[in-house]
Amino acid sequence: MDDETREMLHETATSIFAEGPPDLWEVLQSVGIDKALVPESKGGVGVSWAIACELLGIAGKHAAPVPMAEAMIGHWLLDIAGVEGAKLPTIAFSPPLEPVRLSRSGNEWHVDGALVRVPWGSSCTHVAFMSEGPAAQLIVVARDSSGVSIKAGQNLAGEPRDDMTLESVAPLAVVPVPFESNSLLAISAVMRSALMAGAIERALELTVDYANMRVQFGRPIGKFQAVQQNIAVLATQAAAARAATEAGSEAIDDWILGVEESLMRSVAVASAKIRTGEAAGEAAAISHQVFGAIGFTEEHELHRFTKRLWSWRDEYGSEAVWADVLGESILCNESEKTLWRTLAPTRSSLDIGATR
Amino acid sequence: MSNLSFPRPRQSEVGERLRAEVREFLDDFDWRGDPQAASVFGGYDPEFSEALGARGWIGMGFPQRYGGGGYGLVERYVVMEELLAARAPITAHSVADRQSGQLLLRFGSESQREEILPHIAAGKSYFCIGMSEPDSGSDLASVRTRATKVDGGWLVNGAKIWTTNAHRSHYMILLCRTSPASQERHAGLSQFLVDMKTPGIVCRQIENIAGGQEFNEVHLQDAFLPDEALIGVEGDGWKQVTSELAFERSGPERFLSHLSVLEEFVRVLKSQPSAVGARALGRLVAHLTTLRRMSRSVATMIADGQDAALHAALVKDLGTCFEQEIPEILRLALQAEPDPNASDAYRAALAHVVLNAPSSTIRGGTKEVLRGIVAKGLGLR
Repeated sequence: MDDETREMLHETATSIFAEGPPDLWEVLQSVGIDKALVPESKGGVGVSWAIACELLGIAGKHAAPVPMAEAMIGHWLLDIAGVEGAKLPTIAFSPPLEPVRLSRSGNEWHVDGALVRVPWGSSCTHVAFMSEGPAAQLIVVARDSSGVSIKAGQNLAGEPRDDMTLESVAPLAVVPVPFESNSLLAISAVMRSALMAGAIERALELTVDYANMRVQFGRPIGKFQAVQQNIAVLATQAAAARAATEAGSEAIDDWILGVEESLMRSVAVASAKIRTGEAAGEAAAISHQVFGAIGFTEEHELHRFTKRLWSWRDEYGSEAVWADVLGESILCNESEKTLWRTLAPTRSSLDIGATR
Repeated sequence: MSNLSFPRPRQSEVGERLRAEVREFLDDFDWRGDPQAASVFGGYDPEFSEALGARGWIGMGFPQRYGGGGYGLVERYVVMEELLAARAPITAHSVADRQSGQLLLRFGSESQREEILPHIAAGKSYFCIGMSEPDSGSDLASVRTRATKVDGGWLVNGAKIWTTNAHRSHYMILLCRTSPASQERHAGLSQFLVDMKTPGIVCRQIENIAGGQEFNEVHLQDAFLPDEALIGVEGDGWKQVTSELAFERSGPERFLSHLSVLEEFVRVLKSQPSAVGARALGRLVAHLTTLRRMSRSVATMIADGQDAALHAALVKDLGTCFEQEIPEILRLALQAEPDPNASDAYRAALAHVVLNAPSSTIRGGTKEVLRGIVAKGLGLR
């Protein structure tokens, strides 16, 4: 992927989102954004995860009501599973203590269990998820299969989060994959971080514009140091969220290339969700404070961003969940290495060449 | 609104080779820094500084004709973070290496560069920075120390304060007025290269609340500086100072100076597992690793000749607030009374961090000043 193609993708995505046509999702599909992660040889765009996350950042910046992250990952998984022709694949997880049950009679697979808060579960055509256990299997189910029932729900921002019950459903594919089952959780967490980083940037822009425009006590409120200091903090949070997300997305690329061993033990992946989730809370609080009462109204657009931030920070693991994962993985490290040398490993020139 | 995006930090093969070399050097070097009293700034050890200079790891960015290694800033950054992370005693030479050498390289005369830079690079020439005054802290442009033109040089009168290590430095970079304050506040300031043995200069050490003795009050009474001591052009002092601050603010010292207590925290948790402790560690590491990326990103910007003043201010604010938060998080995650004299290394390190925490968000620009810079960059004010 050369810089020119990347630049072009950015421009295309930015102009589509800025225009925001009524059939936004169809337009995005027509330029292949949903299949961005699928190799070119299979009809996709073949972008890196880092670029996919940049595109998600643009979507987050526009609070775009589309299943972009889910479809990107979904198409990537369906390609691995060898399922073709899906219009809208989404991804799903079973509750932590109740994994889906996969059984086999003769040549037929059957899957039973629950998938909770599935993004766009009602409107998807396919859902991809993992079985648990050491020999992880990737399972793809068509939504209109018999035995699939759906109870619609939504997150704070009104995005569909639907519960799916599977009763003896015959999946379209069950394929073993060479990675841990919770790698999908890690990938999803980074994709959410990318969306959050974009939404935080937009919250910052809106807040700065408003502070420069809104006059109280005879001058724009942005002239008051108390307000300036808060907005400066918001800017630092936006920058940290972006940096953490970029690092997380690069870690996925490293993992695909085999440089990074496990996504669940990746410092960058956990840090992306922890740092961005924390920034989301602070950014939402500060921007609402600056906007005052008008930002608290349904009519004003601020909540399109803040409600998404309040939802996304808890999806695919809150800061606490990922802080546990990260802390434990550092403490489980048997080696006598210092914390610093764990965080800043010496990399061979080979690794550097592979990733950059 | 200024562009506040941070470029992806550059990895350098040379830098990564250096990282391994520095680690080997640190593992082998017999430096007996007192780990319990490990200062925020690391220890002061000329022997260590000279050994480091001999390896070519001071003044790394100087051209070879001045005794430097001709390395880029990205490589220098790797060496800096390794030294800081190991709590190596770099205080003696660090100001000269980080700021003063760079300043002379950019604005100094050829003879200043030829005379001073090779000594800095050898780890033998130590600097302090005479900026703050009793009545000029955050408002640096209000300095009142005056250099008056006399035959063959200048006579300096005034007082500097919070001058770290003035009492054991060979030189001071002195910011003072060379013409009276006017409407243009930033005009009329100049910087001088001052030999600390100059008659008329007296240092008085000031002890800080953590027991550190690095601070000084420096009095200058009719101190004569030869014409050659002027750095660059008379009246360019402000421009020089602001360019210097980007170096001061962007470095890894802004988030690594309290790493020691985190290392001790990990050590304790490994023998005393705690879910609360693990969660606290995870969160702190997420902050640390993100800050590191942002800081490396600023180094990449400076290396590429971009203006990183705004980015550096932002990273410093974030980094120092993080440092200040460390003891507050740790103390709620693990019961331990801070005690600088404790035989337990964690409690001693915790005491050190608690007592030094207030200084993080003050030195090198208060967080209020930095946030003002960020706000201005955002298009507010």
